[in-house]
Amino acid sequence: MMSLFEASWVIARRDFVATVYSRTFIIFLLMPVFLFGVAFAAGQAGENADREAQQAQVALVADSQTAAALQQARETLTAHTSELSFPRLRAIAPAERPAIQARALLADEAGGYSAVFTGTLDHPILTGPAKIDDSVGRRMQLILDEARTRSALSNAHVSIAPVGFGRVLTQEAAGNLRSVRHLMARGAQIVIFTVTLLLATMMVTNLIEEKSNKVIEVLAACVPLDSVFIGKLVATLGVSLLGLALWSGILGILYLFTQVLADWVSVPVAPAIGWPIFIVLALLYFAANFMLLGAIFLGVGAQASNVKEIQTISMPITIMQVMVLLLAGTAVSAGGGFLPWAAYLFPLSSPLSMIALAVQSDSLWPHLLALAWQLLWVAIFVRLATILFRQTVMKSGGRTSLLPMLRSRRA
Amino acid sequence: MQGHLAIEAHGLVKSFDGKDAVRGIDLAVPEGSIYGILGPNGAGKTTILRMLLGIIEPDSGRRALLGHERPLEAAKIVGYLPEERGLYPAMTTREAIAFMGALRGLPLEVGRKRGEILLRENGLGDYVDKPIKTLSKGMAQTIQLFGTIVHKPKLVVLDEPFSGLDAINQGRLEHLIRDEAAAGTTIIFSTHVIHHAERLCERIAIIAAGQIRFEGLVAEARDRLRPQVRLKTRNSDGPWREALPAAARRDGDFWQFESPRSGIEPLLKALIDGGAGIEELSIERPGLHDAFVAIAGEAAAREMEKPSQTELEVAA
Repeated sequence: MMSLFEASWVIARRDFVATVYSRTFIIFLLMPVFLFGVAFAAGQAGENADREAQQAQVALVADSQTAAALQQARETLTAHTSELSFPRLRAIAPAERPAIQARALLADEAGGYSAVFTGTLDHPILTGPAKIDDSVGRRMQLILDEARTRSALSNAHVSIAPVGFGRVLTQEAAGNLRSVRHLMARGAQIVIFTVTLLLATMMVTNLIEEKSNKVIEVLAACVPLDSVFIGKLVATLGVSLLGLALWSGILGILYLFTQVLADWVSVPVAPAIGWPIFIVLALLYFAANFMLLGAIFLGVGAQASNVKEIQTISMPITIMQVMVLLLAGTAVSAGGGFLPWAAYLFPLSSPLSMIALAVQSDSLWPHLLALAWQLLWVAIFVRLATILFRQTVMKSGGRTSLLPMLRSRRA
Repeated sequence: MQGHLAIEAHGLVKSFDGKDAVRGIDLAVPEGSIYGILGPNGAGKTTILRMLLGIIEPDSGRRALLGHERPLEAAKIVGYLPEERGLYPAMTTREAIAFMGALRGLPLEVGRKRGEILLRENGLGDYVDKPIKTLSKGMAQTIQLFGTIVHKPKLVVLDEPFSGLDAINQGRLEHLIRDEAAAGTTIIFSTHVIHHAERLCERIAIIAAGQIRFEGLVAEARDRLRPQVRLKTRNSDGPWREALPAAARRDGDFWQFESPRSGIEPLLKALIDGGAGIEELSIERPGLHDAFVAIAGEAAAREMEKPSQTELEVAA
């Protein structure tokens, strides 16, 4: 009898080669381009459109001198921040009764004004609902202050030349480091989560095809079903790592080519555990996360009789995994308490939580414990998936337990 | 005893969703024999084979495959062709054969070489690098059969191996089965086509409704019936009619009955003396089909004539 390792290797090798030489792999390789391209384009377009749509507009019902002073003050302020940081200002010729004109402007939907400025720099009035005070109100106050300062300086014939900062560069700043690491931890979780879901779906699709073309019957007669599942998990993981290696290689060459690498290396943001160990841990946690979720996908997804059914069946798993991602998020955000510990210990959230810990803490031993813990759960999930597959798909009841895999591993 | 048996099963029971599929099967397949499991569709043949191979677990009973009570422990020396053929459509024929060998522990390189030899020896040399999806169903089945034997197993289990094959390929398969058996391999196959079993098998098990109705040599099954006498006479009536056995029945111009236990000579004498005017007389040893009818019943025999799902698919 072949050992579990040998049998898994035969299955993994076939699946790996078949996938790498298929069109699916090309699509898989190009997936990041599509994903990031579409996400970036949609994000950019959406962000600009959203922010422009959300940017407030204030009507300046004032004499031309006042309106010009306010417009100029706004330009000065936006030059040092961004165009979208301050409300747009639109000068309107004042009517006989500005108070009535202001109310009319606020009621005009086509005009789209959030507030109306009337009066002068020394006696300004801002008409509008109370809820704009925190946003438009404060910003208009800044514009007004700038305009009045400029006016006062001009009247006194005083000019102040801008003074630039003398810069003292440091490697790190604790506050900056913490916020960037927070983002980095969340980013690592989301990347692992997304790639895992993508791969798990791809793998289950492959299993369903084997079920429909009856190959599974041949496999089941030759090798333990555990090895079929492990082989598939390892093959898909191998495919993803190959993809990752290719992309890393391409990006690495691009970095070197554009000489950005030097700048990147000097960026004072590194995971707390250090880049080399972080990269190794990221790969290991990705593998663990994929194996855990993949085993569940295989066990449950294999109940589907065609590819369409997979989408229905995998939906609850995907929802569950989103919940897990949220739980893992507590390991990044929460300072302590029950939830982060639950996230570290719950098998499905453990890899995502621990990668966040690697970014934020320099302790190595928790990772060794976590990886052993996750490996144990991979074995349990694979075994459970096999039992489920045997009983429901192969219609084989009888003697099934969690132990045979351990026995065959010893063999 | 176990050392001489390729397969040994005692009291195998299996039910699906509360419905009994196999009810207490005992089997003893001698090493080096060609053994047939005969039965109509739905008799439980495939379930028995799947239990023997460990693809499914029996609800009760035990089995040993080449001396191993856990069938997968014998996987390296067993070959299995399932009824529903399974191959990866994108794989080439040589790779498919080699992969099936690898599943049984044969190194891929050796599998590729043997696969190519099998293909060339059987006139399929042009298809060595062709993907499975480009082959006809019968040809794909042949490839899977090569994959079943590429690792030179001691036991080959074939589930309805003739289904979906045309007459020429059926003949080739029979030839291949004989060759394997001649090399010392034990062959066990299920079929619902009696004449394949009759031509190939030394021993058979006749299954109906999940139970074995007969187990033993083909000759023993046939010997359960007395030789059949077919008689045609010039005279339709006369004293000779009294010499005919009571169970004699008309079949067109012929009388048909079992050869009397007292022997054929006294009967012949009585027919001649009674003025029958014998035109034709034949004494035929009963075929396996007749034995099957006698053992499993007319209904089961009629079921045997019906094509399997695979055959229906091929016909479609």
